[in-house]
Amino acid sequence: MVEAEAAGLIAIGAGIAVGLTGIGAAIGEQSIGAAAIGAMAEDEKFFGKGLLMTVIPESIVIFGLVVALILLFVF
Amino acid sequence: MLKPEEMTKVVVVGTKDILEETVDTLHRLNLLHITDYDGSESGFSIGKPHRIASKLSEYLVTLRSISNQLRISEKDSVEKKVSVKEIPSMIESKLAELEEEVSKRQDAIRAVEAELKAQEDLEDAIKPLAALPLSLEDYRGYESIRVFVGFVDSEIEDLIRDKTEQYELYTGTFEGRRVIALAVPVEKEAEVSKILQDESTFVELRPPNLEGSPESLLEGIRSKKEELSAKLTELESERERIKEEYAEFILSSEEYLTIETQKAEAPLRFATSENSFVAEGWIPLERYDEFERRLSESTGGKIYVSKLEVDEEVKDVPIALKNPKIAKPFELLVNTFSTPKYKEIDPSIILFITFPLFYGLMLGDIGYGVLLIFLSWIIMSKVKSGGLHELSIILLYSAFSTIFFGIIYGEVFGLPLFNIVHHGAVEYGILGINGPQIGMLHLPVHRFAEVESLLTLVLVVGILHVTLGLLIGIRNVTVEHGFKAAVLEKLCWLLILFGGIMAIVTAMPAIMGGAALNTENPIFAGGIVLVIIGLIMLVKGEGPIAIMEIPTLLSNIFSYARILAIGLSSAGIALAVNTICKDVLFAQGGVFFAAGILVLILGHTINLLLGIIGPGLHSLRLQYVEFFTKFYEGGGTQYNPFGFIRKYTEE
Repeated sequence: MVEAEAAGLIAIGAGIAVGLTGIGAAIGEQSIGAAAIGAMAEDEKFFGKGLLMTVIPESIVIFGLVVALILLFVF
Repeated sequence: MLKPEEMTKVVVVGTKDILEETVDTLHRLNLLHITDYDGSESGFSIGKPHRIASKLSEYLVTLRSISNQLRISEKDSVEKKVSVKEIPSMIESKLAELEEEVSKRQDAIRAVEAELKAQEDLEDAIKPLAALPLSLEDYRGYESIRVFVGFVDSEIEDLIRDKTEQYELYTGTFEGRRVIALAVPVEKEAEVSKILQDESTFVELRPPNLEGSPESLLEGIRSKKEELSAKLTELESERERIKEEYAEFILSSEEYLTIETQKAEAPLRFATSENSFVAEGWIPLERYDEFERRLSESTGGKIYVSKLEVDEEVKDVPIALKNPKIAKPFELLVNTFSTPKYKEIDPSIILFITFPLFYGLMLGDIGYGVLLIFLSWIIMSKVKSGGLHELSIILLYSAFSTIFFGIIYGEVFGLPLFNIVHHGAVEYGILGINGPQIGMLHLPVHRFAEVESLLTLVLVVGILHVTLGLLIGIRNVTVEHGFKAAVLEKLCWLLILFGGIMAIVTAMPAIMGGAALNTENPIFAGGIVLVIIGLIMLVKGEGPIAIMEIPTLLSNIFSYARILAIGLSSAGIALAVNTICKDVLFAQGGVFFAAGILVLILGHTINLLLGIIGPGLHSLRLQYVEFFTKFYEGGGTQYNPFGFIRKYTEE
């Protein structure tokens, strides 16, 4: 019983880790994305750089995902 | 490889009578990256363009405007190249005629389009009036009567009747709105007008100044519009015919004129005195002998060419990246970030190894790999040059790497390749055999089962990648600022990195809870000492503020966990699609079977697209953000020699 409870809490923890970091990354990406589109409207050559800049905040989700993976598989 | 092409500064001096031949040869050689003369030497002024330049540019402007009007697009190749000898006479004879013809057509098209627009406006103005039982001449021409026409949604007759008994009101409906025509005596005009203005739904219409019933007028407009449309189609097809006929002429003469204008304007970049000229620039060192020989041949030995000694601190050396053909496409990724400086390491060849490696580690699926090979092959055969072509070659390398890691992970479209055992039950793979044992490695390394060891693996990959970056950093700083600076700026980071790893790995059991921390463990103690030495050097080299950067190092390493994370998410989506189809839809049969196939195709297509974008961008990001920041400064000028690669013409 205790074990099942612990497993459930771990799963919730993993969900929170991915969910909250996802929101964080989204907030970061929205303004970068908007700015990148603006820059692209001026100069289409910016596409590559803009796309790259836009994925930079995605690191945060990946850290969240790592935490989730460690929680789920390592503990 | 690793270093840009070695360049040498050259100076070309001659008398003005051989200027033309020299420019011609320089252009044909396509070697000299000209350094524009800034007019700073006394006795030398900036050269004047050849007198033909203004005429050539005039032709070029005309030609480009024609090419714009005809919407002529570049072609990758032409069947037969035009000889440059024919072009000048062709331009003389055809250009004026072509310009007239095109502008005549263009004017006619514009006139027809304007007429068509006018007819459409008229139609829009008359259409609502067709709902009223009046002819167009009924709306005007009275001395004592004023007629209001417009849309109004509410009932206004009572309001009018309050003001005057003498009125006539016609109503009708057009597209769900009420149309009215209201005639009142002129003396009541102001009051009625006020009622209508106060009515918020009222929109006034202005009947056009025509005669006859709206229906017959609309009929006339319709037939006129048809006539105009037919005329427009005819004119456009004629323009298309001209485009077909002259496309080759326009492309080849545009190229010819571009080249000739470049040549004619070249003296603007030279230093000239009354009777001589001096051109300065850069060429690749190994081509110098050819450069000198060709110039002296073409001018009968009347020219002076020499290498110039340059200072140690050269800033304006143009950069031509030099890599084996196989690694060339990765120069695009390096140049997108920034062109390296002359003395910096050019990391293209490293990207050639690490980019596909990371990509394959992320995507790792035989099925997707094979599809990517097809995709890159299709793009490669459609687009013969330019950035897209190079990207498709990079995609091809990445696809091979994807297949390689697909075999290691044992995945084909998310299905197992080899038999796997979990929870005691055997899941049969596509091959129906157990995975082979290769050395220490027992295939398949199932990604969901081996998360822990794969996480360790990708972090080790990250540490190696960052270490490589720091080592290159040491080399770059040594070349630019000396070894001492390199030790204080870069080596200290290596000490912190490895000291930190030693300390953290030995302390791991204590951090995870359980064992007590053994501070006397020599590895742990050694790690701490290394970190402290590194910190002291760092503070000495970059100031105390640099300590703020230490968490960045940690996050850089953790960032490599994305290799596993993106791989897992892609494998997860594939698994989900397969499970939905196999266990849910296919099991029910009938219509669900068809739906299952649809889900299968759609799901894997989406996953493949995500699989191109996700691993591609993240693999690139690991290079740009984690790797390049350790050593790369960039900011060089790209080597852009004076010359032109002919596509449509030949000499």
